[in-house]
Amino acid sequence: MSLAGLSTGASVIAQDGSGFFRDRASDAGSCVSKNGFCPDWIADNFGQYTGPLQEHAVLTVTAVVIGFVIAFALALIAEKRRWLVGPFTQLSGILYTIPTLAAFFLLLPITGRGFLTAEVALVAYTLLILFRGVRTGLDSVPPETVDAAKGVGLTDRQLMWQVKLPLALPQIIAALRVASSTTVGLATLAFFAGAGGLGGKIYADLTFKSNVVLASLLCVALAVAIEIVLVLVQRGLTPWTRAVNA
Amino acid sequence: MSPEPARPAGPSPIPSAAGGARAGARGLSRPAARLELRELTKQYPGEDGPAVDRLSLEVPAGEICVFVGPSGCGKTTAMRMINRMIDRDSGEILLDGRDVNDRDPSELRREIGYVIQQIGLFPHRTIEENIGTVPSLLGWKKADIAARTQELLDLVGLDPAFAKRYPAQLSGGQRQRVGVARALAADPPLLLMDEPFGAIDPITRDRLQNEFLRLQKTLGRTIVFVTHDIDEAIKMGDRIAVLRTGGRLAQYATPAELLLAPADDFVERFVGADRALKRLALGRVSDLDLLPVVKVHDGDPSDWVRSQLAGAPVPYPLVVDDDERPVSWLDADDLRADRVVGAEGSDVAIVDGDAVLRDAFSSVLQSRVRFAVVVDERGKSIGVLSADRIADELLPRDGEQQPDLAPVADGLPTPTLDYPDAAPPFDRGTK
Amino acid sequence: MSLLGLPAPSLPVGSLVGDALEFIVSEQRSIDGTPIGGPSQLWGLTQTHLELSLSALLLATLLSVPIGLLLGHYRKGELVAIAASNVGRAVPSLALIALFVAFLGTGFLNVALALVLLAIPPILTGTYVGVAAVDREIVDAARGQGLTEFQIVRQVELPLALASIFGGLRTSAVNVVATATIAPLAGVLTLGDPIIATSVYGDAGRLGASIVVALLAVLTEVGFAQAQRAATPAGLRSHRRSLRRSPAPPILTSTTQPRSTR
Repeated sequence: MSLAGLSTGASVIAQDGSGFFRDRASDAGSCVSKNGFCPDWIADNFGQYTGPLQEHAVLTVTAVVIGFVIAFALALIAEKRRWLVGPFTQLSGILYTIPTLAAFFLLLPITGRGFLTAEVALVAYTLLILFRGVRTGLDSVPPETVDAAKGVGLTDRQLMWQVKLPLALPQIIAALRVASSTTVGLATLAFFAGAGGLGGKIYADLTFKSNVVLASLLCVALAVAIEIVLVLVQRGLTPWTRAVNA
Repeated sequence: MSPEPARPAGPSPIPSAAGGARAGARGLSRPAARLELRELTKQYPGEDGPAVDRLSLEVPAGEICVFVGPSGCGKTTAMRMINRMIDRDSGEILLDGRDVNDRDPSELRREIGYVIQQIGLFPHRTIEENIGTVPSLLGWKKADIAARTQELLDLVGLDPAFAKRYPAQLSGGQRQRVGVARALAADPPLLLMDEPFGAIDPITRDRLQNEFLRLQKTLGRTIVFVTHDIDEAIKMGDRIAVLRTGGRLAQYATPAELLLAPADDFVERFVGADRALKRLALGRVSDLDLLPVVKVHDGDPSDWVRSQLAGAPVPYPLVVDDDERPVSWLDADDLRADRVVGAEGSDVAIVDGDAVLRDAFSSVLQSRVRFAVVVDERGKSIGVLSADRIADELLPRDGEQQPDLAPVADGLPTPTLDYPDAAPPFDRGTK
Repeated sequence: MSLLGLPAPSLPVGSLVGDALEFIVSEQRSIDGTPIGGPSQLWGLTQTHLELSLSALLLATLLSVPIGLLLGHYRKGELVAIAASNVGRAVPSLALIALFVAFLGTGFLNVALALVLLAIPPILTGTYVGVAAVDREIVDAARGQGLTEFQIVRQVELPLALASIFGGLRTSAVNVVATATIAPLAGVLTLGDPIIATSVYGDAGRLGASIVVALLAVLTEVGFAQAQRAATPAGLRSHRRSLRRSPAPPILTSTTQPRSTR
């Protein structure tokens, strides 16, 4: 079916102008012209998707890394100044609440369009998840472990880096996993801000099943790949969590 | 106990794995510390009264001082001020004459062993790494730390194979042993222990207490031990500081003084109405003179056994095996047969020479024959203890503050039979 | 017109913001003369936005809460609850809408169904976690006093799980309201229309609608946060602080984490 003219003539569902071409007329009656799910077409046109996939991965990883650095710093600051936990959580909660699409255009007067705009919004979204993850991890360190660590003479810095952070690692990584797969999803909207990604592909032809399925699967695959990497990192870094009673 | 704990730099002879375990016997590298509290006071903000109120006491080097009292008496607060886990409001804490406030808190704590009820092992570190925490903070060499870990595991009675495991793989009792090993790692002159055996089942607790006392005999550390359990205080303490609610010192005395002469009603009530009985926890079986017993073996002629019993203080013959380990008591019925059959007799209550009198008394009372056989560390029978003999220990002695547990000669049947370990008048073939 | 490669706004920042606010408060004329913006049009878009979001939330709640209560009561299907939220998180909302459009077509019902799928995982997980976290001893005591299984769920587990259920509801609501912004792609005209269809509304319309959508989302969040607080049984509220010392829950990748898809 056609989407044209669906939205009081206001919305134009674009199938052009985004470097995406598909000659429907030439192939009347074929799978492609019926907007079907066409493995052959996917095999032939897979190359068109690698660029956006790469953009998508860069958008996601950059956002999570920057978001983590900020959230981690905030969590450490709040370690000594407990009263900051509330304000930090509320602030990142508000950022988290604003719909991505709206955020992109709220940034319009400040950063215009492009990669930077997309990143600012995506980073803002990771903050709540990551800040809360790091805090939960640090707060879940057993008080007796902290007491014993101080009691045997660890300095505050040693306590943080040698005891608290290693023990918080499972929760921190769990938060990173949530943040990265969430960001993969949000980054599908980044093309609205002019930053590319797989969302542009999806948007370019919403009715073509091959296109939508392939682009969606690539998003899921990207999210899963990042999660697998994080799980492996966690397994490598936290051998004690797998120690069973011998 | 390690020869080189305090000097990480320079060539350090690594203690040999075999000899290391008994390093305590080779002399301590650091002498135990003398601890002095003067007018120590702490009030938490928002509280009505102080948690610790002008607490003054002195702990001589190498002694165990127990802080005991009801909850809210400030005993833990007082202990935690010593290693500066809590800041005091006023007063002084002197460690070998030097105020702990003159020291960097972390540095100070590395010199003070710290054991808490919840143990607080680092779950992400192996047992070896846990025990090596302070040594590595002090910059010891890896090889020295590894050797020290092995030595300590042995010292606290853990298999060296535990070194590579994680705390989650150990039982509660084993973890507490690791906790003690960690506290002892850098050979601290002072040890702080906050209800260290509080969360452990009674049987394991008793064993850990005994082991710890045995360990302390070799180590001779100065120890501040916090508990709410007066029985544990009496058992563990060289001195006991009874604190009352509001953090004031009610009495500071040896266990014996505390039991014989409580300073006031509070102490008397806290010590308990059974304080006379509690004195039994102070003496050890080996401190008493034991009664001799007629020892017989399987196959001895009954007539001969009966003749040996004439005038013996213990009117039953004890069947022992070839290693002199007790097997059973025989009574008149059992001796009807021509020869002794050990398996026919009744069960023997066996008491360790190291056992406290309370436990021995309990064993005696449970035994059918009202006697308990005392054995040495190899299980060999060395004599017999009677209920009378123990009850005798409880009699108050005028003006005597220290029950030194010397035998009281009056009123006890003097052994009339000198029964040496002589061979019976016939050949039994095996001896 | 493609959105990609548009030049950065040439207008000064202040003027753009001013135009955006103007767009919100009074009706404008688009380039081709169609009336756009102003309270009446925006209110219409907002109504559709809310209708769409509420229907999706309602349906998702009716589906998820009973299932979550059942699974939580019998402590079964924890894997289902976790898998639901993990899989849900990995499928981008744009992809979800696109898949619905590609396979089922456009229209209110299809978009609403897509949003239902989006809303289910947080509510399901919130319900499951809330019920499964109820102290077994409390349930045991209830059973011991003769309550039937249904009565236990209704009188004990549901009230105690209510705060957690509302937590899931809150996450879902915020997600749904946010995702409804892209509903115009599937032919449902919500507040996202001025954002997506720039050719008609221009940058001022975009920014104006973005402001309204952001406000709506924040209001949703605040409203559900209030509801969550109100749903917490009074007996639990004051203890919250002291409960912090209780052991941390097992590390499940995402059961307690919000899912976000916008």
